[in-house]
Formats: sequence, structure tokens, C-alpha cells
Amino acid sequence: MVFKSLIKELGLTVSDNQINEIMQELQTRYPEGEDPWGLNLEQAKSTLEAVWPLYKHYFKVRIFGQTNVADEPYIIISNHSGQVAIDGMLISTAFATEITPQRILRSMVDRFFTSLPWIATAAAGGGAVLGDRQNGHNLLKRGQSILAFPEGVSGVAKSTSEYYQLQSFTHGFLRMAISTKSKILPLAVIGCEEIFPWVYQPKKLSKWIGLPALPISPLYLPLPSPVDIHIGKPISLPDDLSADAPDREIEIHVQEVKKEVSRLIEHGLKERRPFFASQKGAHSK
Amino acid sequence: MKSSDIKHVLIIGMAGGLANITAKILLMKYPGIKITGVDQRVSQSDFSQHENINFKRIRYTRGSFERLFRDNQFDAVYHLGRLTHAKNSLLTNLEDRLDLNLIETKRILDLSLKFNVKKVVILSTYHVYGALHDNPTFLQEDHPLRASIKYPELRDVVEMDQIAENWLWKNQRKIDTVVLRPATIIGPQIKNTMTRYLLTPYAPVCADFNPMYQFIHEFDMASILVRTLLEVPSGIYNIAPDECISLKEAKKVLKISTTSIPSFLIKFSNRMAQTMAWSLPRYFIDYLKYSCIIDNSLIKAHLGEDLFRYKTKEALAISKLD
Repeated sequence: MVFKSLIKELGLTVSDNQINEIMQELQTRYPEGEDPWGLNLEQAKSTLEAVWPLYKHYFKVRIFGQTNVADEPYIIISNHSGQVAIDGMLISTAFATEITPQRILRSMVDRFFTSLPWIATAAAGGGAVLGDRQNGHNLLKRGQSILAFPEGVSGVAKSTSEYYQLQSFTHGFLRMAISTKSKILPLAVIGCEEIFPWVYQPKKLSKWIGLPALPISPLYLPLPSPVDIHIGKPISLPDDLSADAPDREIEIHVQEVKKEVSRLIEHGLKERRPFFASQKGAHSK
Repeated sequence: MKSSDIKHVLIIGMAGGLANITAKILLMKYPGIKITGVDQRVSQSDFSQHENINFKRIRYTRGSFERLFRDNQFDAVYHLGRLTHAKNSLLTNLEDRLDLNLIETKRILDLSLKFNVKKVVILSTYHVYGALHDNPTFLQEDHPLRASIKYPELRDVVEMDQIAENWLWKNQRKIDTVVLRPATIIGPQIKNTMTRYLLTPYAPVCADFNPMYQFIHEFDMASILVRTLLEVPSGIYNIAPDECISLKEAKKVLKISTTSIPSFLIKFSNRMAQTMAWSLPRYFIDYLKYSCIIDNSLIKAHLGEDLFRYKTKEALAISKLD
């Protein structure tokens, strides 16, 4: 509530009509209002009311390539950045508001995250699920799209010197895509790394303490870096590829997806706006 | 097993609401059969009107069970007599409960084999999986049973399930054994920890968590128990509806006022309240925080898609009627 009031005070608002229209659309897609993974439309609305104004006015998000998205379930694979999962929040907001048909992405989160009081419930209400292959499998079978960051924590917890360098990809998402015959939608987020521009990650120390990451920065306030989301063309996997294929066979396709995300990042970096970009000129392509 | 094979059925735990409904459905489905029901508790139902039901109050001891099996020829045995952690349970002492749940379960299984029982149905619980923050949704029957990782007092629940499972596979050629792991059973006749919690005004809910639940109406569960006799082969089966509902939404449906407080305070105040009349079992607080949603595809493969007559919200509304 305090956070929402603060957003209003700063004049970062989205009209209630716009939010209600989106929620009506989502209500037809999720008529029960809840689902077994903890999705809760009331909670999702509340999250949207808090995040959408930031998405529009603070991070001035632009989307490129939304015509690549059809009305079918995808495994969305993105680079991870921004120290905290702001990128996931912005991608989910884009798919709930600007990409038609609107949908709630099921972001796959770390085990550590699902134990956190308030945060875990709020995230689940907004669509987040435990990053588990069985969960992903069941969601895809039910026609839902999932958002995964195969770099894991190493992607989000990077020092400044490693910004926009893709870390190694895990294989789980590809095996999931094969077993459910789902398409992979590659995606790149540009601008989230600069939200916290100066960071050092003492990896050994955080491991010793037992934390997934320990960002050390002179600044812990997220800066209004303009964010671009670049969506690539869906990737279909060969029909004869088995979900139980040895790693060396899976790795070839994982590398193809990684290459495509990398290409989108390079392209996005060329197209990016200056740090304090105005809303003017921000548009979706 | 054929329907003509069912002549005499033993129900252990007969004083419970679920056993009572199961017995009545059994009599409707197989009018000529004889039912012997045993329990340590006094039965709340009056079975005197049912000449086919013979209720005996016995102590769960080796001697009582041996006598029971020697004096009768049972065709099927329902073991619904697991002692719970609820306060009104006859034995809240952990050692005694372990002894009864584990030793007596093994004894009942051995006697069933020795005296040529054709089918044994054991009622376990979904609690065996544990409510943990890293549970995937739709746990399948082969998922590790992790309930006792954090709470040793749940050891008997897990071990009873595992004794039955090991016994099932060891003797699968000699006797049919079915282990059922139902989700939360609710209804006017069910008096378990969850129904008491759900119906207690101002019982605390976690302000910081809102787990999802699967609720089964008592009549649906009893019907499944009856159908299991002929339609479900040996094995372990989760029993749960497709529908899920969050705990806070369930309380809203029941129109029961709640007190919303952070989970750590519930834990703390519950510890303070252990000596009072109303408190929650320690492990139960995790079930107020984390979901434990089970997969039902295996049982559906045998009993079909339309397994449940009552929708979740109906079942909740009915469970309030007493």
C-alpha cells in the first residue's frame, strides 16, 4: 500500500480503466481466479497496479518483435540481469499488458525464493512458480507459457565487468521443450544491468555465508535505466530429438538458443537509448 | 476379486465418521454382506438399527486382533484406524502412537494374509509428502515422502505408509493391497485437525503465506473406498480432486472470520498455547504456509474422470452443517 501511494505521489500512474480492461481479458483466460500453483487474479491485479506504472514511466519499457508471439504456449528463454529479478517482472508485465493475447507468464523461480514470507505468496499470486521440471511440464500441458532464465543465479548476480555476458545455460528447459513439444521463444532484455550500474559480487563470500548472491554496490536504489525487450522468432526443435538424449546432443540445441539470445542482445545494445531517455520516442515496434 | 466374493468386511477405526459412511455405502451396494467394525473409541453412531453391522469396542492389541481374525472369515479389510495427532486422540503420547500405528498395521496385514483375506485397503494421507516450500505442484505417488524431515512426530505417518507399501510389493501375488493417500477430507462427520481448524472462528491464518488446498467431501471419499474393493488393483494411489482453492479463499467460502498474523508469530503463540484446550499440532503450521498438491491421474485411470460428486466450494459449505 505504501509503495502504491508513493508511486501515485510521484505521478507515475496508469488509469484504472486500462488496468480493468487488462484484468477483464485475463479473467476470461483464468476464469477460476486461482490455480493450483497459487496464481491469484486479485493479487495479480494488485501487483500490476504497482508495477505497470514503473514499467511505463520509470523504466520506459519498449518492446520489439511482439508479432513473433502467437496464441500458444511457449518456453520463453531470456538473459538474466539486474541483481534482483526486475527483468522477470518487466517481461511478465509486457506479456500481461502489451502483447496480445494477454497472458500471465509463469516465471520459474529459485527454491530459495519460494520460502520467503510475503514475497513468495505475492510472486505466486502474480504467476511465479518453483523452477522445477515437473511444474514446467504440467503448466505447458495446460497451455500456459513459462519464463525461464537458464543462466540461473549466475546470470542475475554479475559484477559490472560481466554485464551483458551470457553465463552458461542449463539444459532443463530444452528437455522440457522436447517432452511437451513446445516452442522456445528467445528474448533479450537490454537496460536492466544499468539499473544498478556499479556492483561487485564476492562469489566466494556469498557461498560461504550461504546466500545465492551478495551484491556490493555504492547504490541500492534502482536507477531509471530505459529498458528494451527484444523478442526473437520461435524456435521449434526436431521431432526426432528425445528428451532423454545424452547431454552432448542436447547441448547443440541449447547453444543454438543461447546464440539467438546473444544475437538479440547485440542487436539490442546497438538500438538502446541513452541512460536518461525521455518517454518521447519510446515506442513498441 | 468379484462382487460375489464379498461376504464379510472388517472395518478398523469404525467409530470415525468416514468409516461410518463407508459402511453404509457398502451395505447399499452389497445388501447381503456382513460388516464387523472395531475401534478403541466409543462410536458416535448407533449401529443397532443395522443388523448387518456389528460394532465392537476393542483395545488394539495383538490378542484382540488375533481373536477377531480367528473368529471370523473376512473377505476384505479396511484399515481406517490410524491414530492422529489431534488433541482428542486417545493417545497423544508419541511412543504409544508409534507403537499402535506401526506395530498394529503390520499385525493387521500379517493376519489378513494368514487368514486368507482377499483385499486390504489402507487409508494413509497426503501428509506423508510433507508441506515444504520446494514441493512441485501435483506430486505423484513416487515422490519422496518428506513429512518427517522437519517434524519427527510425523514419523509414524510416513512409516505406516512405507510398511504398507513394502508389504504390498512383497505379497502382491498372494493378496490385493491398496494404499490410498487422500488430500484433506472434510464433511460434517469428519473431526480431524483440518476441519476443526477450518471451522474455528478467528483461528489464525498466515498473513505472509496462502497455500493451495485440495478438499474431498466425506461422501466422495467413502464412495472411493467402496469402489476400491473391486475396481482398483494393488498399488498406491493419491486421491484428490482437480480443483484447488487457497486457504484464505476456503475460509471466505465458509464465512469464518480469521485472524491474519505472520507465520513466525503463529508458531510462537502456538507454542505458548500448547497447554491450552485449543492449539495446533506443531507440524500443522507448515501446512498453513506451504502447498502440498497431489496428482490424481493414477486413480482416475481406474475409476474414471467423474470421481467426485461435490465441487470444492460445495464440499466446504456442507462441512459447516453439523
